Amino acid sequence: MPQPVQYRGMTLIVPDNDSEWTEFYAHARAHRLVVRKCTACGLMRYPPTHACPWCMELEWTWQELSARGTIYSYEIVHHAIQPGFRELTPYPVVLVELDEQRGQPTPDEALRIIGNLVKPDLTPEAEANVAIGRRVRVIFQDLADHMALPQFTLADEPAPARVWRLPE
Amino acid sequence: MKTLRDQYCVVGVGETEYSRASGRTTRAMAVEAIRRAILDAGLTARDVDGMLDYQGGDSTLANHVAPDLGIRLNFYMDVMGGGSSTEALIGLAMGAIEAGMCNTVAIYRSMNGYSEFRIGGTGARAAQPVRGLDLAQVPFGMRSAGQNFALTFMRHMYEYGTTSAQVARVKVAHSRHASQNPKALLKERVTVEDVVGSRWIVKPLHLLDCCLETDNATCLIVTSAERARDLKRRPVYIMGVAGRVSKPRLDFHWAHGPITRVAGYYAKDIVFGQAGIGPEDVDVTGSYDAFTFTTLLQLEEYGFCKKGEGGQYVSSGIIELGGGRPNNTSGGHLCEGYTHGMSMVIENVRQLRGTVDDYCPRAAEGVHTYDYSPGRCRQVKDAEITMNLGWAVPPTGSALILRR
Ligand SMILES: [Zn+2]
Repeated sequence: MPQPVQYRGMTLIVPDNDSEWTEFYAHARAHRLVVRKCTACGLMRYPPTHACPWCMELEWTWQELSARGTIYSYEIVHHAIQPGFRELTPYPVVLVELDEQRGQPTPDEALRIIGNLVKPDLTPEAEANVAIGRRVRVIFQDLADHMALPQFTLADEPAPARVWRLPE
Repeated sequence: MKTLRDQYCVVGVGETEYSRASGRTTRAMAVEAIRRAILDAGLTARDVDGMLDYQGGDSTLANHVAPDLGIRLNFYMDVMGGGSSTEALIGLAMGAIEAGMCNTVAIYRSMNGYSEFRIGGTGARAAQPVRGLDLAQVPFGMRSAGQNFALTFMRHMYEYGTTSAQVARVKVAHSRHASQNPKALLKERVTVEDVVGSRWIVKPLHLLDCCLETDNATCLIVTSAERARDLKRRPVYIMGVAGRVSKPRLDFHWAHGPITRVAGYYAKDIVFGQAGIGPEDVDVTGSYDAFTFTTLLQLEEYGFCKKGEGGQYVSSGIIELGGGRPNNTSGGHLCEGYTHGMSMVIENVRQLRGTVDDYCPRAAEGVHTYDYSPGRCRQVKDAEITMNLGWAVPPTGSALILRR
């Protein structure tokens, strides 16, 4: 088993038999964002899981994505409960709707992924710049030889719809 | 769908003191709460032959608790679960009795939620290794319940224009109710300004939008209506129950929007269908107020107002004592204490009996003043039907409809 990764006081464990995450992180370490794609119905899913939630098929392939999307919701953590995050507060957590497979297979569904909104140097983005509707792209944070976390950073693209943030 | 409407009753309720330093084990507290509920029902240890409890590795199991009270069990299960387990276990108790496995079931939850295993996720909970599905969110500093739910709350504000001041009215209402509850941990009434002026925990949640971490044990006793009729208390009948109903993709519900939709969307037809009533027939609601927002989302989803209009509904005064449909008349998790849902069912049972334990001198006899000023009465006049809206996480919840 690869060594557990220490990150901000947390022990991140991906055992060899955890096929859901082992290859996901190997791709992430190579700075590729991948999701599982069903070989039967062609739909993609995140997080990586063993069966297709739409057709129950067990066969899948990894599919690389453009790693671009739009902030669907966010929160700003002021009171960190994990000691390793205290020095980062206030830090934003974003739910990003990826560009691929939006509104499929039903209008309410999409590939959505959670990460921190960070500056290019991986420090937390300023709160004033965090808003629903803003365009983002994935930036990888290397943690170990076999692991990197997909994070998000603001993309210099016009927002496709209404931009909103919590009023001051 | 099959219904057992009015064939089962809640006949006993009991709890320990709500505190932040119980100084006791969960075993000692469970024993006290169960004993109180048995005595409240007018039963003896010999009459109880079933036991259900729920926990998250933070409590004492039934096989240690029952013998302490001299209870011999014909059926018991220890269930892994948190919020919304209360209503689900009431349904399972009915099922166990219906199957002929036992006659009368004690359901308990015991936790040192402040002094031992903090429900807020700090301490021992925050130090647990991260693996499996947790890798999709915990490494990003998203581990506590508030951090888990805030994305849903924020999206609700975006989609429907819900404001912090509107949501704060939930805390204001529950604090008013707690001021009439001698048991409540926080009895002080607060204002909207107090809530929106309190420090940020995780935006859009302020400190006063969050519930209290509490040490306590609670117990409910369920038996058949036939047995209930022989007991000393007025029976409280179970009209309908829905247990741990879930949204699709409950592992990662953000993939299956709208993320502002919560499990009540699916639970409401089950529970109202069994009961044969609608939201307009409910006199009192008990919603799981882990946060102010969770009350608002559930009231919307169960149809007490239109989807998206929860902000107006909770700030209209209707959820306060004296209003059209008071919610969490004990003060709930925001003010009375955090019990993983049990206390809101206990309170509704007392409301239906007409013997809410407020400051009215003859409350136990059912004599109330209905004066809802601080330190007085919290009995709802002629409450006939109550409903509990149990919450675990946005994609999982339970519901219970009771009548007198
Ligand atoms: Zn498929």
